[in-house]
Amino acid sequence: MNRAVLMGVLLVPAALAAQTDTQWVLDQSTLSYHMSHPMHQVDGVSHAAKGKGTCHAGQCSFLIAAPVKSFDSGDTNRDLHMLETTRGAQFPMVVVRTSFSEGASTAATIDVDLEIEFAGQTAHYAHVPFQRTAQGNEVSISGTIPATCSDFKIDRPSFLTVPIKNEIPVKVAMSWHKM
Amino acid sequence: MKLKVAWLVLLSLMIVLLFSLSLAAQTATLSGTATDAKGKPIANAAVTLKPATGAPIEVHADADGNYRIPDLAPGEYTLSASGEGLSSKAIKVTVTTAPRQTVDVLLVPEQELPSAPQAAPSSAPASPSLQDLGFSSEQTQGNAQLQATLAKRTHMLKTHQKLGLITVIPMAATLITGPQAKAKGRNGGTIKEPTTANLDFHAALGGATTALYFSAAYFAIRAPRVPDTKKHGGIRWHEALAFVHGPGMILTPILGAMAYNQENNGEKAHGIAAQHGTVAYVTAIAYGTSIVAVSWPIHWKFWEK
Repeated sequence: MNRAVLMGVLLVPAALAAQTDTQWVLDQSTLSYHMSHPMHQVDGVSHAAKGKGTCHAGQCSFLIAAPVKSFDSGDTNRDLHMLETTRGAQFPMVVVRTSFSEGASTAATIDVDLEIEFAGQTAHYAHVPFQRTAQGNEVSISGTIPATCSDFKIDRPSFLTVPIKNEIPVKVAMSWHKM
Repeated sequence: MKLKVAWLVLLSLMIVLLFSLSLAAQTATLSGTATDAKGKPIANAAVTLKPATGAPIEVHADADGNYRIPDLAPGEYTLSASGEGLSSKAIKVTVTTAPRQTVDVLLVPEQELPSAPQAAPSSAPASPSLQDLGFSSEQTQGNAQLQATLAKRTHMLKTHQKLGLITVIPMAATLITGPQAKAKGRNGGTIKEPTTANLDFHAALGGATTALYFSAAYFAIRAPRVPDTKKHGGIRWHEALAFVHGPGMILTPILGAMAYNQENNGEKAHGIAAQHGTVAYVTAIAYGTSIVAVSWPIHWKFWEK
């Protein structure tokens, strides 16, 4: 009887702990798209992303979003052209969603499936590898999303009548902390 | 001879004007995709575009939910779609002179229509939402009016860019033919009387350059401004240099005309008219630099596909 009570006392908090939600908040981020043109190699950078993650019952869901107009390529004219081409006034946010098991999130390399809303379209990217380094409650994530213009039905912008390359890889570097 | 030059300049102006108008006068094509909230295309969706006045236009989407409505005059329209028991909200669309515009249509069950936002994120119940992240509704809500302004701006600046690049050709030719207006004689000496043909040709090229230049400038000046935009980067140099080549493009033809009259009166170009060439070179250099400035930084990678 005593043993059963003792087991109960030990196991109930453990079970409760497993049910407890874990919250993650995005501290700092650098998102940068790379655009290639025969005359130009351009990187548009944003530090304005915000993100939150929730882990519950072994499953984690993360949401990261950034205003499209927050990307700065170093030239206002080019950024306004990008905003127009990506329908950034009509669809002002780029939104990334991902879900994975909590166990997978502790590996040094995490393969995640991403759902990205951008330019009024939704694209899915499977098994995108991200590097993960942890220090206490802080976790840094970095990787590259292999995005293309055609994924989001974006008419490739052109300069001197020559369009940019279809590939616009997005580099991601983020720092998260556990609440 | 003056009459001949006037005709040549007038002809150049008319060619440039017709060319500019052909670049500017275009109808638009509206296209997009009709999907449900999960992003599934609605095949054969009925898409209706109602102009402010006149009969509505109805087209049907293809098997992938893509619709296309060509030959639209610029103006205000209302777009809606229905199919597979779903309907969309009525969307205000401003068709501009941009040749292609894209508006995707989200179809939802009719009972959800009043609160169904376009491009609403579909998220699992436990997932955080955009509101949780702390973005204001101003940041997350689309602005069709601003999108239309951006589309018009891009279209006008593309025309500006094309005309501006074409201007380089007669400008270079004018600079080359300038010294030839005082071509050396066969004995190697400078002829005192410039040949009529060279002068006329140079004047006509100058006229074409001026007309093209101001046509290009028109599209840049008239392109709509985007509110709350602080300019930085190469565009600032591009615009600043216009304060050099703009007055230069006014002054050069005036000085040229003065020099032309002096030469025709048997005089050597003198006074301020003698600076025609110098002003023209400064103007051309500023013009070329402004093209480089808006293209900066340049990384040649033509070998990459």
